[in-house]
Amino acid sequence: MNKLKENPFVKKVGINRIMLVLVLLLMYLFFCIVTKWKFLGLSRLVSSLNYAYFLGFLSLGVTFVIATGGIDFSIGPVMFCCSLISGYCLKSYGVPMGAALALAVGVGLLFGIFNGFLVSYLSVAPFIVSMASMNIAKGLASVFTKTQSVSWPQLAEGGWYRQLVKIGNVPVGLFILLFIALICGILMGKTKTGRYILCLGSNSEAARLSGINVKKYCMLAYVICGVLVGIASIFFVGAYTTVQPGYGDQYNNEAIAGAVMGGTSMAGGVASIAGTVLGVFVISLLQEGILAMGFTKDYQLILTGIIVIVAVYIDIAARRRKN
Amino acid sequence: MNETILELKDIDKSFPGVHALNKVSFDVRKGEVHALMGENGAGKSTLMKVLTGIYTKDSGSIIFEGKEVEFHNAREAQDAGVIIVHQELNMMGHLTVAQNIFVGREPMKGIRVDDKKMIADSEALFKRLNIDIDPRETMSKLTVGKQQMCEIAKAISKDAKVIIFDEPSSALTDAEIEELFKIIKDLRERQLGIVYISHRMDEIKRITDRVTVMRDGTYVGTLITKDCTKEDIINMMVGRVIYEDPKSCSTVPADAPVVLKVEHLNAGRMVQDVSFELRKGEILGFAGLMGAGRTETARAIFGADPSESGDIYINGEKVVIKSPSDAVKHGLGYLSEDRKRFGIVVQKTVAENSTMATLEKYMNGIFINKKSELKVAEEYVDKLNIKTPGVEQLVVNLSGGNQQKVVLAKWLVRDCDILIFDEPTRGIDVGAKSEIYKLMNKLVTEEGKSIIMISSELTEILRMSDRVVVMCEGKKTGELPIEKATQEAIMDLATRDINM
Repeated sequence: MNKLKENPFVKKVGINRIMLVLVLLLMYLFFCIVTKWKFLGLSRLVSSLNYAYFLGFLSLGVTFVIATGGIDFSIGPVMFCCSLISGYCLKSYGVPMGAALALAVGVGLLFGIFNGFLVSYLSVAPFIVSMASMNIAKGLASVFTKTQSVSWPQLAEGGWYRQLVKIGNVPVGLFILLFIALICGILMGKTKTGRYILCLGSNSEAARLSGINVKKYCMLAYVICGVLVGIASIFFVGAYTTVQPGYGDQYNNEAIAGAVMGGTSMAGGVASIAGTVLGVFVISLLQEGILAMGFTKDYQLILTGIIVIVAVYIDIAARRRKN
Repeated sequence: MNETILELKDIDKSFPGVHALNKVSFDVRKGEVHALMGENGAGKSTLMKVLTGIYTKDSGSIIFEGKEVEFHNAREAQDAGVIIVHQELNMMGHLTVAQNIFVGREPMKGIRVDDKKMIADSEALFKRLNIDIDPRETMSKLTVGKQQMCEIAKAISKDAKVIIFDEPSSALTDAEIEELFKIIKDLRERQLGIVYISHRMDEIKRITDRVTVMRDGTYVGTLITKDCTKEDIINMMVGRVIYEDPKSCSTVPADAPVVLKVEHLNAGRMVQDVSFELRKGEILGFAGLMGAGRTETARAIFGADPSESGDIYINGEKVVIKSPSDAVKHGLGYLSEDRKRFGIVVQKTVAENSTMATLEKYMNGIFINKKSELKVAEEYVDKLNIKTPGVEQLVVNLSGGNQQKVVLAKWLVRDCDILIFDEPTRGIDVGAKSEIYKLMNKLVTEEGKSIIMISSELTEILRMSDRVVVMCEGKKTGELPIEKATQEAIMDLATRDINM
């Protein structure tokens, strides 16, 4: 094992990520076997990707927040809020499609600014802030839509946004997700913003005493998260078209699980974008697999809950061993 | 000679890549204070951790009260009577003294905790040890010294047979150290075995019976304290002789310009109306007791804590410093006494820490220029002689002295003109210490930097400073040119405001 860890290739890619790829393959094989190869089909795969798109953007967003040592439990409901408000404007006020999509991202951005400002400039605990804004997002969306669900237009009705997800059987969404993940990776690993976010996540006081504007960069992490949540909302409706107010909580856990599984530390200071993407694939495959095995959605909830606990525990145990 | 109560024989312990302990032997007798010395990284703490069950030994044996034992965790060691008083205190600040002492073994009355008995027992315990602390007091309200007394009392109340003190004096005032010594002497009379780990030579001479020295994970030798000299011990520790002569006169020319002027600075109780000047190329020593307000003054100047009033001039120009980033822009750099908390980012590499205050210089548009970052880090690793396998090593894996150098590198990369060193050599071994001194001297004489050095070690103040400012209870009580600064003169000023 130790020898394996010293291997330059393993070192570069990271043992965690290699394991995730293996887990993905094994899971796929497992589901194929237990569903008697029904799972093998292209349509199943593409539909499991549907889940990966919006969850991927959520998870990428929350990775930045977790990197600061914070947490955001509002991402799921905020995502719903984004697609509800913009969808309602689209349907009821005749706002053009392009503007509606921009509005979705804008709502996410506003929530990011709101959360970030409270956490970094007013020093309210991230847990409290995000719990509160989760309720605000749900309530706001309900009030705005008069508690009606909103259905975005189908492709035939001028819903070209659906082509962002797939055109025929071409998974356009996958390319967009990977492209944005690449940008996130560069942002996290190669720019001042990412460097400072990780520094302050690891040791906020030391970062501040080095002359880094800690508040600004901490807030920025939440803003980046907000924008990504906005983008996630587009891909959610792109895949499923209908959104109901009052929901979205379950995606919090799934997105956080994706990030933590990928090697982002809940204590802050360590983050991996590539890991997050892999983690998201694992979770979405799991969701699809459970459905394919004939279990209901409730089992998915139980399983994701367990996954979060296990992933966080592994992170804690690994850190304890290091100390 | 008393009988041996605890014996460690040929203890061997390896971590991946490090042979931390190489057949080390050590023993303690009843009624003896046995000092364990060695540079940082010599293996003292590892040895004690093996003893108290925190680490498992690879080989060797531990004989306690005539029987071979093996403790699997700290609890087992405690139950047997081997207790360690840590450098960092493990106290719960919100609870009372009595609650802390009896935590985990509270006296019960039915299902209820018997508070009365707990307090009465604590009082009796303190009385036995001649400690004057109210067990009802909240722990966080006590001084660090008193907290340490509580920790010792806790150890004794657990029926300790061997107590290990891990650098107990590093956070204590002189008066508190005296009290600690009284207690240690008392424990010795009660026939306990005491292990005393410290860097401070004078303490070793005063209260220990034997000294064992370790170096690089090996046992070097054991001396009878009263038969050996300070130099003997140092020679064993480092294998070479280091002289610490005080500076005889200032090396700063009389007409050197004033680079930093602080006037009537006020920041809470700990900084009251502090004024001073710093000249180019000068090392200005800040002496005083623990809690005299020196660190607070430095932090207020640096913008790390808010100040209420006062003016700061840099190179004759009035500046407003509201945050550390303002201070950094004006060419100030601050090396904190608590590196782990305020200096380094442990999960980042040496290179990343080095450029943390100057990242904009190592950018290619919006991208960090890794190549130039690594290059400058390598340059400073070389220049400051930082011992690390490479610049991409995580700082967490470096020793204390080298971590301190990384913090220094961060400010030198930034090219700060005014550096504030807050206890620059605390917890650093003798070898690294003299290297830091050399670096500081080089910075002022060759590179025209100016340094404020806060230090609680008088020998350090006298050896390094060109001028000495003394503080007491948040006020500046005096200023001495190095020619007039003696230990006595400084101590007189440092205790001027204290009601004895």
